[in-house]
Amino acid sequence: MKLFDNPIFITQRRLMHRAGVLAPILIAALIGLSLLAGLIAYLADPMDFNFNSPQDAGKVFYGWIIGVEILVLVIGGFSKISRTLAEERKAGLWDSNCLTPLKPAQIVSGYWLGSPLRECYMAAILAGTGLVICVLAKLPLAFWPGTQILIFSTALFFGLLASLVGMAFQKPQAGILMVGLVFFLYMPALAFSRHTVTNFLLPIYGIVNLFNGGNDSNREWDAWPEIFGLSVPPILLSLALQFILGIFLWRAAVRKTANPFQPLLLRWEAIAIFALLVVTQHSLIWNNWHGAFGAAQHIQAYRNYPDDSLMAVTHGGTIFLGVLILTFSSPLPERVRVEALRAGGGSLKMIFSRSAVSLALALAVIAAIATLTQFIFSFGENAIIWLVTAGNLFVFFLMFSLLLEFCRLRFKRRALGFVALWLFVLCILPFILGGVFSNAALAKLSFLAPGVIAVSDYNADLTFLGCVTFAHFGGVLLFFLAWRQQWKLLLAKTSPSTSTQ
Amino acid sequence: MSNPLLAIEHLRVDFPEVIAVNDLTLNIGAGEVCGLIGPNGAGKTTTMRAISGLQECTRGSVKVGGHELASEPDELKRQLGFMPDFCPTYDQLTASEFLDHFARAYDVPNRARRIDECLQLTWLTEKTNSLCDELSRGMKQRLVLAKTLLPNPKVLLLDEPASGLDPLGRIELRKILLQLREAGKAVLISSHILTELSGFCNTAAIMERGRLVTFGTIAELGQRAGARKMSVKWRADDGKALDILKAANVNNLEATNLGATFDFGGDTDALDELLKTLVIQGVRISEWRGTSDDLEQIFLQSGAKELM
Repeated sequence: MKLFDNPIFITQRRLMHRAGVLAPILIAALIGLSLLAGLIAYLADPMDFNFNSPQDAGKVFYGWIIGVEILVLVIGGFSKISRTLAEERKAGLWDSNCLTPLKPAQIVSGYWLGSPLRECYMAAILAGTGLVICVLAKLPLAFWPGTQILIFSTALFFGLLASLVGMAFQKPQAGILMVGLVFFLYMPALAFSRHTVTNFLLPIYGIVNLFNGGNDSNREWDAWPEIFGLSVPPILLSLALQFILGIFLWRAAVRKTANPFQPLLLRWEAIAIFALLVVTQHSLIWNNWHGAFGAAQHIQAYRNYPDDSLMAVTHGGTIFLGVLILTFSSPLPERVRVEALRAGGGSLKMIFSRSAVSLALALAVIAAIATLTQFIFSFGENAIIWLVTAGNLFVFFLMFSLLLEFCRLRFKRRALGFVALWLFVLCILPFILGGVFSNAALAKLSFLAPGVIAVSDYNADLTFLGCVTFAHFGGVLLFFLAWRQQWKLLLAKTSPSTSTQ
Repeated sequence: MSNPLLAIEHLRVDFPEVIAVNDLTLNIGAGEVCGLIGPNGAGKTTTMRAISGLQECTRGSVKVGGHELASEPDELKRQLGFMPDFCPTYDQLTASEFLDHFARAYDVPNRARRIDECLQLTWLTEKTNSLCDELSRGMKQRLVLAKTLLPNPKVLLLDEPASGLDPLGRIELRKILLQLREAGKAVLISSHILTELSGFCNTAAIMERGRLVTFGTIAELGQRAGARKMSVKWRADDGKALDILKAANVNNLEATNLGATFDFGGDTDALDELLKTLVIQGVRISEWRGTSDDLEQIFLQSGAKELM
């Protein structure tokens, strides 16, 4: 079935036209024409403006176009798709569509490409005006298509993400909050330009690089990123990352549509996404230490911000990504119980294989191996740094997965609050207490501390950090016992006597 | 039943704290309208959602037109129409656009004609170009029924279809269901308004706390529920009729004005024999009614009343 024959696409288009498209199109046209008029005015009388050349003026005006386009297409589109899906799920229309013989891929593509049509129209108007600006300003030939490809691929990528958000969250506002969170978290990444994977997943680096126009390794935003030392065009890296991750998102959306009871990510997909992002991140920072992290020559060479904190940021980012993946991939306890019932009972071995704990172990192994790439040529002298970092990753992922499932089992609907409470107590509170009592040792007790300190402070007491990691491991064992107890209780639960509709 | 259109076997659905549907086995054949009855929380809606694949089953199998839900969901979808107990409509589409959406989704041949037929069948022809938002609840209910009938499914699941309808709408719904019955469809219909189900259901399944309490034809269920409560009226009172009834050993015989009520413990043949005797003896019968043939009586006597 072609997209234009897809009933969901047709309906979304009808709904959009009924709500009116002229006003948004006119708004986009007015913004575009205002900027175009500015360029024409400059070309007519350059003395009235502070630009060095028509190219400079064109880049500034086109930069505004791109900014509005991203706002409309990426953020507006994300919000629209997630809101539409959440609302239609709530209204029962999603179920009605899923009951038809439409294939899951047709349903997903109908919403993905149909619901943000208004935003697409606006973006098309802006892109057209941008093209005129680029031509008038005589900007390089690849400039306009390069930026537009990046914007549209990002919009498609975020559209798929929005589809999943709409399928998974009950409230449409969750989509907007999610975008806000992503952009908030993105801000610090700007400091690391070509050294963080997020700058390529969101194509900021690619766009800025096109604006700066080239591959000048002496200027931070001009240089091409390097994958284990190999230069790669930023536009290519962005497109490749978005394409590969997009395939996983597409698979997840289609699977969730075909069977809403499936988890968002299959276990191997979760592992693959994690591996892709973590390995890419380590490959991007490879050039800083060339596999000899902690070696004496690098300590002096890279003691300036932000390079000296790159490993710590990478470590923290790895933990954050692992937490996200564990949260979205861990099956709900009730689902595992149903599987156990189907299998005619359940054992802790079966629970372990399906729970987030085994996934946490897999993620920790991947993260530890990825981190090891930075120590290949300095392992002899700095093995303990790697051991503390890897140990911290194991302990954190295990702690989080056990905590998440324990709280879901024990507190059910209130689980989220208790997970947040425990994370605050285990990760943030030690830092607060360390500050309040001016005692750095207290701060090092945080579950986040050993790995971050080991890779950022060359004078850190690694033996102490190792001991803290062991102590954390003891805490994880206690979590494991509590987790096991809760699973035993659930599995032993006899058939309930009441029924509901 | 040799070849049921809807076959449910040992269906079980688990919710976090309860078993919503427990070991449900139910077969519905062509031309059968089965009333699914039960108090709130009995598992009626969950059963329907499980049959349609919207609710995950823990165990058991569901077959629609011979197609298994687990292995042939696409084929099953083509044979099944599900009307939920609320009215999911696109508020900013017209009635015909709404039906067009689903006609395209089901790839219905002669789309425009079929849409007109369904609108006509549900008395919505005048509302063809009205926005769904402008329709009353009852009209939306009818529109969703039209949507359900659009692909001409063999099996229909109707969850409280009459809940938003006015008395006239309910009468019309009854007519449609009788038409569907005659057309050889298998219909599973749930309702709290038991008297309305009596008019068109030929079988009934009573559920309580996720379990099937009883299932059978209305007559069978009446018998299972115990002695039939009968009501008889005649045109002239000569005392003969009461003597015949007393001789037939009926229980709780009570004479009324030109008639009587009594409990009859025998089977249908014995009841027919009693009627024949009355007629042969010259009693001019004006009414002969088994009051326990209505679903309300059956339901109340089935034991599934604890939660009412």
